[in-house]
Amino acid sequence: MKQKQFEAEHGALWQDIQLILQGKAPESALQLPALYRRLCQCLALSGQRGYSPALTGYLQALVFDCHKHLYGAVAERPLTLRNWLLQEMPRQVRREWRLLTLALLAFWGVALALGWLVWVKPHWAYAFMSPQQLQDYQAMYQPGKMHIGRGGSESDVMMFGFYIWNNVSIGFRTFAAGIFGGIPALFSITFNGMHLGVVASWLSMDPATRETFSAFVITHASFEVTGLLLSGVAGMRLGLSLIAPGRMTRRHAIFAAARTMFPVIVGAAILTVLAAFVEAFWSANAGISAQVKYAVGAACWAVLIAFFALAGRAGR
Amino acid sequence: MSSSSLVDGRLSLTTPEGVRLLLTPAGPATRAWAWLIDFLVWLAAVWLLALILLGSKLGQGVYLVLLFVTYWGYPIICEVYFGGSTLGKRILGIEVLRADGLPVGWRESGLRNLLLVADFLPAMYFAGLLSMLYDSRSRRLGDIVAGTQVVYREKRAERSNIDATVAPLAPPFPLTPEQQRTLLDLFERERRLSPDRLEELGTLAEPLTGHTGAASLQRLRGIVAGLTQ
Repeated sequence: MKQKQFEAEHGALWQDIQLILQGKAPESALQLPALYRRLCQCLALSGQRGYSPALTGYLQALVFDCHKHLYGAVAERPLTLRNWLLQEMPRQVRREWRLLTLALLAFWGVALALGWLVWVKPHWAYAFMSPQQLQDYQAMYQPGKMHIGRGGSESDVMMFGFYIWNNVSIGFRTFAAGIFGGIPALFSITFNGMHLGVVASWLSMDPATRETFSAFVITHASFEVTGLLLSGVAGMRLGLSLIAPGRMTRRHAIFAAARTMFPVIVGAAILTVLAAFVEAFWSANAGISAQVKYAVGAACWAVLIAFFALAGRAGR
Repeated sequence: MSSSSLVDGRLSLTTPEGVRLLLTPAGPATRAWAWLIDFLVWLAAVWLLALILLGSKLGQGVYLVLLFVTYWGYPIICEVYFGGSTLGKRILGIEVLRADGLPVGWRESGLRNLLLVADFLPAMYFAGLLSMLYDSRSRRLGDIVAGTQVVYREKRAERSNIDATVAPLAPPFPLTPEQQRTLLDLFERERRLSPDRLEELGTLAEPLTGHTGAASLQRLRGIVAGLTQ
C-alpha cells in the first residue's frame, strides 16, 4: 500500500485520537484503549513498510502521548496519605528496628556519655565546642533573658521561620548524604547527640540556667530528635542498600530502599515542622510555668513512643 | 519493560502493546544550563522577597519559611504539576520522566530533588556529574534512587506534507527501502532548505535521474510522488 493511501485510510483514526488526547471528545474517551491498539498497529506497519520518517515520527509521538495518557492515569485514592502516615510509616520504622536502635545509641548514648564526662570534668566541654559558643548558650538561657530578648509574638514567628529553614533542611541533608554508605547519616546523628550532651550538661551545672534550659527543650525535643533519628534511619538504609544489596543489583536495591523509605522521610519532615512550631510558640513562651512544660513535654514523649510502638499494628 | 540502547543513543522502551517508545537522554551540559536558569530564577525571587519582607521580625520569619518552601518545593511542584519540567528545563526543552516513560509523581520527584544534596557533594555537583558520565542514560544519583530520567521533549512532528500534484514517475532501477526513505525525507524537509542547496542535491542525484540541477530535482519529485501515491 502506498503512503498516501495509508494516510487516507487511517487519517480519521489519528484525528480522533488527537481530539481525545486534547480532551475535546469526552464521549469517545472510553474507546481510547481500542483506538490506541489500532494506532500501535499503524505505527508498526509504517515502520515495516518504510513509510517516510515524518509519518513514522508523527505516529511515534502520538503513541507516546497515548501511552502517557493511558498508563499515567492515577486512580483516586483519597485515604492514601492518611494510611501512609498513620500506618505504613510506623510499620516501616518498626521493620528497621535494628537501624533505629543504632540511631538511638548513636544519639542518646553519645549524649549521655559526653554529658557525664562534662559533668565530671567540665574542662572537657572545650574539646567539643569553642568557649564563645558555650558562653552564648549560657547567656541565652539566663532566667528572664528569653522573655526580654525575644520581644513578643513577632520574633516568635521569626524564630519559627529559622527553625523550619534550618532544622528541616538538616533532616533532608542527613537523609541524602546517607547514600554514601550510610556513614554520613550516622555521623550527623552522632554529632547532634554530642552537641546536645555537652550543652545540656554545661547548662545544668549552673543552677541559674538548669531550669530554663530543661523546661525549654523538653517538649519540642521529642518531635525534633525523633525527626532527626528517622531521617538518619532512612539515610542509613539508603547507604546500606548500596553496600549490601542482597539478591538485587545495586541499582535496584537502592531504588527499592528509597521507595520504602519515602514515607519515613516525609514523616520526619512533618515531625520537624511540628517541632519548629512547638519550639517557637510554646517552649519559648515565658508565661507558662516550668511544671506545666514538664508535664506537656512528658506527655508528648509518651504519645510519640506509643505511636511508633503501636500504630498500624491492628488491621493487618 | 525492557530497554536496550540503540546506536543513536536513544533509549527504547517496549510497551505492553509491542511498540517501542524512543527517548533521548539529556546530557550533563544541557542539564547544567537548565539548573543555572532555575537557580537564577530562584535567586531573583528570593531577592525580591527579601526586599519586601526583611523589614520586621515578623517579615523575617515569613521570609525564612518561604525560603524553605521555594528551595525544596519549587522543583517538586513544577515536576509534578507542570509536565515534568521546571522553568529552566522547559526553556531547554527537556523533561523528567519515570524510567518507564510515564510522568513523575510525588514520590519520584521528592526523592530525586532531596538527593540533589548528595549530588552536590563534594562541591558543585561533582558526584552528580560523575554519575551522569558513568551511567549509560546519564542519570545523576537522584535519578537512580528515584527511578527517573531526564529526556529531551519530543518536538511535535508534522504529518507528511509532500506535494501531491506532481505526476508519478517510475525510478530507472529499484530503490532499496533505505534509499526510498532518504528521498522521502528530503522532500518532507524541502521547506527548510534553500533552493540553491536543493539544486545542489539534485545534481548529486544524477546517477538516478540523468539530469542536473532543477531538472533533476523535478524528476526526483516525480519519483517520490510515485513512491507515496
